[in-house]
Amino acid sequence: MAGTEAIGHGDAEAHDAPRRDFLKILTLSTGAVAIGAVAWPFIDALNPTREGEAAARPIINVGGIAENTAIRVDWLGQPIYIRKLTTKQIADNQFVVPESLPDPADFSARVKPGYDSFVVVVGLNTGIACELEGNNPSDPRGPFDGWLCPCDGSVYDPLGRVRSGPAHKNLAIPRFTFLNDTQLQLG
Amino acid sequence: MATPQAQFIPWLESRLPFCAAWRTHVSEYQTARDQPYLATLPSLILGTLIFLALSGAVLSLFYVAAEGAAFHSIQFIIRSVNFGWLLQSFHTTGTTMLFAAVYLLLFRAILGSSYKGQGDLVWFLELKLFILLLLTGYLGYVLADGATSYWSLHNAALAGARLNSFPGAIADWIFGGPAGPGTLARMVVFHVVLALLLFTVIGALIIAKRAVAVPVTRKPVALHPYYTGQYFAAFVVFALIFAILVFFAPHLGENHLNLAAASPLVVPAVLTPPWYLLPIDAISGILPGTLGGIIAVIAGLAVLYALPWLDRSKPGVSTGLLYKFLVFILALDVIALALAAAAPPSIITGILIKLFIAWYFLHFLVLTPLTSATEAK
Repeated sequence: MAGTEAIGHGDAEAHDAPRRDFLKILTLSTGAVAIGAVAWPFIDALNPTREGEAAARPIINVGGIAENTAIRVDWLGQPIYIRKLTTKQIADNQFVVPESLPDPADFSARVKPGYDSFVVVVGLNTGIACELEGNNPSDPRGPFDGWLCPCDGSVYDPLGRVRSGPAHKNLAIPRFTFLNDTQLQLG
Repeated sequence: MATPQAQFIPWLESRLPFCAAWRTHVSEYQTARDQPYLATLPSLILGTLIFLALSGAVLSLFYVAAEGAAFHSIQFIIRSVNFGWLLQSFHTTGTTMLFAAVYLLLFRAILGSSYKGQGDLVWFLELKLFILLLLTGYLGYVLADGATSYWSLHNAALAGARLNSFPGAIADWIFGGPAGPGTLARMVVFHVVLALLLFTVIGALIIAKRAVAVPVTRKPVALHPYYTGQYFAAFVVFALIFAILVFFAPHLGENHLNLAAASPLVVPAVLTPPWYLLPIDAISGILPGTLGGIIAVIAGLAVLYALPWLDRSKPGVSTGLLYKFLVFILALDVIALALAAAAPPSIITGILIKLFIAWYFLHFLVLTPLTSATEAK
């Protein structure tokens, strides 16, 4: 096209070609890095804040829970029950044949290996949503010494498995990990 | 047989002629040589607008549009959101860069008398851009919900409520009454809507500028790569200034009282807006009453609109030396007006503000017609 010829003359232009290519690559790569560096804050701002992350992954002290009782923790709007089993409760429930239950689940599926005296469940009845009773030894617990639903009378064992009642699903187990013998992190 | 890729391009091109548009408007678009770097200002303004829209979109995810809560939500953005401090600074400093570019655009237009002849529509669009930007900038300033923002909005809503008949009705539509619920939420909506309008105006401005560009006869060059290189260089310098301001002067031209939370019982001693609103804010204060303020602002902007008629020189004739000198004096006058308006109120600043405003109107209504008529001969 008229007038678009590069400013430069013959040999000098051929001589400059690699130099120009180098400058082009340099400009484009610097530009790409710059765009990435500017774009990252915009994207990272969409991530959860550190406060939000910390609130979503609370660390719970379970060292103070007495045997045969459970504590209640509010986590993301759900009541979480953390219960410490007695040796008798473990012995009673360890060898129950899963197929004999309404929602078959064996002992190892309800506790973490190495921490089998702790049961962590969402404390809501799986039939009609209703908070369960039975955290304190003095609460009504039903025939299996677990939890009882005050609304529809569903019965759960200490592992949170449904034994009878309108509900036909075991209590949900939230995502959690044991940090050590006395600390547990939800989320 | 052609590969799928080779078939896809003509298929797309026949339905969405992108390649043809690229050729017509970019790679084969004929432009004159040796255009000044400042001719890239409309593109820089568009780029800044896009940047502001992006940062504003992210900020709006965390902003709470309610009196009192808004200030704290901004504190939350600055302190807790990942890179929130940077995005907030991007948005405020981006506004500074945008206004600087638009003020410079207006200054160049007045200096070069580019509003004469076919350039009149471009000039009107530039003014429309400026006015919309003033409104959007004011709304953004109010959204900060600091001490001065709060009282500025409070006074504006109260003054609006005192108006009667049609102006009063408009004020009610905007503010929702003096103690209306969710005034800040309304301000957010207007802020966003006006910002979107700004995009259409800057788009129209760029198109109109091209339409009236002088046809190139001698050795034209293509926009790409000849001017894209220039645009790139201008953009890099612009971005460098922007980065320096973001990192070293994030509160440039702000009233520092606005960094404190508002209290309904404490009126800040100096109730000045950010630097870009200072001249228009000073002009709004010279006539008494709310309607007086509105009339003064309209008059201040109307003389700019009337410039194609106030300038008596012939289109195409380059402006005279005295006229150019007076335009520089006008720029200094507006800067001095802003400085006087930002200073703590006293008798001297009050007189200075009146003097600078008087010179502003004198420049447009008397000096411009006089010098352009005498120098045109």
